[in-house]
Amino acid sequence: MILCGVSIIGFTTSVFFDVVTRELGAPWLWLQQVTTGFFAWGVFIGMAAAARRNDHLYLVEITKRLTGPKRTFMESFNRLVVLGVALCMVWFGYKNALLDLGSFRMPSLIPLTYYTASVPLSGLLIALFAIEQLVNGWNHGFEGPEDTADLREPVE
Amino acid sequence: MSNGAVLFLMAFLFLGLGYMGVPVAFALMAGVIIATAFTPISLQSMIGQMFHGIDAETLLAVPFFLLVGELMTSANVTHRMVRLAQTMVGHLRGGLAQVVTLFSMFFAGISGSSTADVAVLSRTVAPEMDREGYDRAFTAALIACASTMANLIPPSIMAVVYGATGNVSIGGLFLGGIVPGVLIGIGLMIYSFFFGPVGIKKKMATLGQFGTALKDSSLPLMIPVIIMGGILTGWFTPTEAGMIAAVYILVVLIPALNRGHLRLLLWDFVYTGMLYAIPLAAVASASAFGWMLGYLRGPDIVAAWISDFAGTDAHMILLLLVVLFVIIGDFVDAIPAIIIFMPIINKLTELGSINPVHMGVVIITTLVFGLITPPYGLSLLVASKFVGVTFSRAMYASLPIYVVFFVTIAFTVLFPDVVLYLPKLLLPESVGCFKNPSGTGYICPT
Repeated sequence: MILCGVSIIGFTTSVFFDVVTRELGAPWLWLQQVTTGFFAWGVFIGMAAAARRNDHLYLVEITKRLTGPKRTFMESFNRLVVLGVALCMVWFGYKNALLDLGSFRMPSLIPLTYYTASVPLSGLLIALFAIEQLVNGWNHGFEGPEDTADLREPVE
Repeated sequence: MSNGAVLFLMAFLFLGLGYMGVPVAFALMAGVIIATAFTPISLQSMIGQMFHGIDAETLLAVPFFLLVGELMTSANVTHRMVRLAQTMVGHLRGGLAQVVTLFSMFFAGISGSSTADVAVLSRTVAPEMDREGYDRAFTAALIACASTMANLIPPSIMAVVYGATGNVSIGGLFLGGIVPGVLIGIGLMIYSFFFGPVGIKKKMATLGQFGTALKDSSLPLMIPVIIMGGILTGWFTPTEAGMIAAVYILVVLIPALNRGHLRLLLWDFVYTGMLYAIPLAAVASASAFGWMLGYLRGPDIVAAWISDFAGTDAHMILLLLVVLFVIIGDFVDAIPAIIIFMPIINKLTELGSINPVHMGVVIITTLVFGLITPPYGLSLLVASKFVGVTFSRAMYASLPIYVVFFVTIAFTVLFPDVVLYLPKLLLPESVGCFKNPSGTGYICPT
């Protein structure tokens, strides 16, 4: 989460200086690349942080209203889906990042890998968090105090 | 496997997994990954598409508008605007209900997020409504309905995402959203006046009280002026306008109005840092989903269905799209929905020769309705949680208010000239007008 804060402070500052230098008639063009870098890393690291905190967008949070073995099965299944997607992000994202060593961003000609490496790293963190949640859930159950905040009617 | 079958499988997996409780971003990607196995496309390129989905400068406006909303909410300076609204409409029948709506209109000009609006109103006006005996279900329903204006009155995060993915002028969408936004506001005020609870009758504020409240809230009310003024004068892009507004709050507003909050600023950044990643993670996955949808010729299939019914009649096309997006908005969050269905929207915009800004405003107005409809009515869900009432009770209370949204959507579809009046007047290029080569003024498409 701290890294997400760093990223938003980073790109707020870089967009600010981008505007200031442009208005002064001496724009620092590389600032736009810095901005994009902070932004992309912020999104993918934030994606991992949100996965750990179960803060992502959900169509329905039906599992929070289940209890017992049904809850364990659904939560485990959902985490395994997330784990599968995360592993694809790690492996194919890594291959993309290697490929991007040969692609460069104008005007400073830095390899695109500096940006796209955020995808496999995010995938790795998501995979680790999914495994952590599975192990914790199997040992201590998936139900938590936050479930009581859901005011929709329980599912029978 | 035929394209249609792969499309069906991908959509089925997304909805099936989504309804089993897999987060939207991962349910979308799981659908894409399985569908890719039935096509010659490599998984590597689909994972790469996630990055390309968020690699757009215009999307940077999303975190800035969220940051502006978060800073305003956590610095607790919004109560000044609540007081201003109270002096203006607090004396009317259902005074506090009127205050909720008017405050939402003010706050919509500052923040592009409905959730921030719900959070502010639930903390400030909802306890007071409770004390005055308003039914909690009505309070939650009204707050949720009023918060939808944040996505219509500029700045709007939905408009930023729509403009960035659909290559439509964000400034044009901002200006076009004002008409439906204000219509919803007026509709809610009329509804509260005639059909809402009476509340406690209060005396009309004096001119002096109104003047004091206006003076107190003049600093926060400068934010919409900075944002829209910067965009309309061409000084800033929407992204830069969001940044300037955030800097204004940090440098001017908080030191002037709530100096004590300065030591908590770091946490606002940390929280917003994660807050913006949540919709944008869905954007990244939805762009891969949308790409695959386009590859499988999904837009052609849907466009063919719609053109079978509507031909090239713009009104019929818009009407069918409204029906489609009312259904979609009930089940899918607005931001992924915009990106997933953008290829279809573009195809139909072309087919019906519809102005892209008009199409964008109709789609966004329809999708904001999804924020208050079950089962995935995000604003209603958050409002019911904060106000302390069950989702089903809040939903029943909001049912009669749906009429306001039906009327607004119908108006937006049927009167494009009214919707496009402000964009044509203030940003003519945004709606396809070009400078008259032989004189002054602009030539606009009819």
